Amino acid sequence: MSAVELTPPEAARWAARAGLELPAERHAAVAAVANHIHSVVSVLRELDFADAPPAAAYHAGQEKRDAAA
Amino acid sequence: MQPHELSLAAAADAIRDRRLSPLELVDSVLDRIEKTEPHLGAYVTVAAEQARRAAGEAEHELAQGRYRGPLHGIPMGLKDLIDVGGMATTASSRVRADHRATADSTVAARLSAAGAVLLGKTHTHEFAFGLTTPQTRNAWDLGRVAGGSSGGSAVAVASGSATFALGTDTGGSIRVPAALNGVVGLKPTYGLVPRHGVTSLSWSLDHVGPITRTVEDAALVLTALAGHDPRDPASLSVPVADYRPGAGTDLTGLRIGLPRTYYFDNVHPQVEAAVRQAIGQLEALGAQLIEVDIPMTRYIQATQWGLMVPEAGAYHEGSLRTVPGLYQEDVRILLEASELMSAGDYVRAQRSRTLMRAEWARMLEEVDVIAAPSVPMPAVGADQETVTWPDGTTESVSDAYVRLNAPANITGVPALTVPVGHDAAGLPIGMQLLGRPLGEPTLLRVGHAYEQTQPARALATAA
Repeated sequence: MSAVELTPPEAARWAARAGLELPAERHAAVAAVANHIHSVVSVLRELDFADAPPAAAYHAGQEKRDAAA
Repeated sequence: MQPHELSLAAAADAIRDRRLSPLELVDSVLDRIEKTEPHLGAYVTVAAEQARRAAGEAEHELAQGRYRGPLHGIPMGLKDLIDVGGMATTASSRVRADHRATADSTVAARLSAAGAVLLGKTHTHEFAFGLTTPQTRNAWDLGRVAGGSSGGSAVAVASGSATFALGTDTGGSIRVPAALNGVVGLKPTYGLVPRHGVTSLSWSLDHVGPITRTVEDAALVLTALAGHDPRDPASLSVPVADYRPGAGTDLTGLRIGLPRTYYFDNVHPQVEAAVRQAIGQLEALGAQLIEVDIPMTRYIQATQWGLMVPEAGAYHEGSLRTVPGLYQEDVRILLEASELMSAGDYVRAQRSRTLMRAEWARMLEEVDVIAAPSVPMPAVGADQETVTWPDGTTESVSDAYVRLNAPANITGVPALTVPVGHDAAGLPIGMQLLGRPLGEPTLLRVGHAYEQTQPARALATAA
């Protein structure tokens, strides 16, 4: 296990901080899945985003008229 | 030929010309459902009496001289994430056991207004969060997965148990089951088809679209579905259009991008051969092939997961705390683990999408369409969990089925899967055509042209 991986008790504590009480028998399995997800998404840290904003669309006070998708 | 074997377009012509009545068609499909359902399990609910009543009304309207268009009297299935007023939207989950929709979703209302007849609600992988749809069996081989998450819809259409159906697609959930069951599936441009009243998996990746037996049929359904609805914040303001492709097969001047990277990596050799042969057919119709490099391939899965997992977790936050034991284990654990992701993970995925969209837009200036496999391998056995490729890498079945589909969900570009043959075991293979945002007319034109060079496809035979 690498230093950044969550142990089962850590996964339970993080879940509790998110307001989710995990039964003890689920701690290990949730930690394993969370660590796998982390290993997949953490490659995004390699990207140089420069000034790129998040893609979430937001149009205040007017209906969208463009065809951007 | 029995009415349930007809394509939507052929059935529509027969109804319009009064050679076939809506009731004859609906009765034929309901009879077919009775034969196939015990083997295939495509439907959560079949509303036979309601369907017969609606068909009778459609017939009455025709007798009065009112013809609503090509969907008039056509029987269809809706994935059970799509609200129909008065019916449960179960999402194929015990979590929704007591659900009852109070109103039609936009797509259900539009299909109803176009005259389509609802047969029932089709199975989804629970809450669309999976690629197999374990309740349903493949229409060509009962021992293999239906694909998902719109597995019930694809199996119903492939087996003659629905003339068309709707699915939803967040990471391939229309295209994967369509490809694995030998039917056509269209994931439209993000925002073209409103999602109001459709249960979400991941708001920024979700799409609704048709699953049909032919490309022309998909165009007929899209014509009824597309158009702005302010109740879906992503809905685009686009003019009403008739998407039915023209009869011509000449593709002269069309530039087709042939991916040098990504889409043919770790793909089953029989899938690659069938897709390359189909692309050769498009070239024979006059299209020009241009090699393209798919951008940012290292970040596709990370971006897909970084968007989908936290959004799904947010949607289910309440019921995961109140009724966690009602979820299937595979879905429950993903939802639980989603709560351990950081806001930074999600924002990075949204910024990666910004970069990826820009790169794809640049690539799609060079070509009109990209042609590729829809999925890397045909339907796997129902118990198979992983696939090992010749380079030694092992991949989960779900990851493999999502791999070639996720780019169109992340970037919002339209993607169409078209059947292009079978492997040695008789399992269907799909070719994926991807286009520019709102490039549906081009995709449908290319897919329709290809289909016209091929013999008509028969119904699946496993049931």
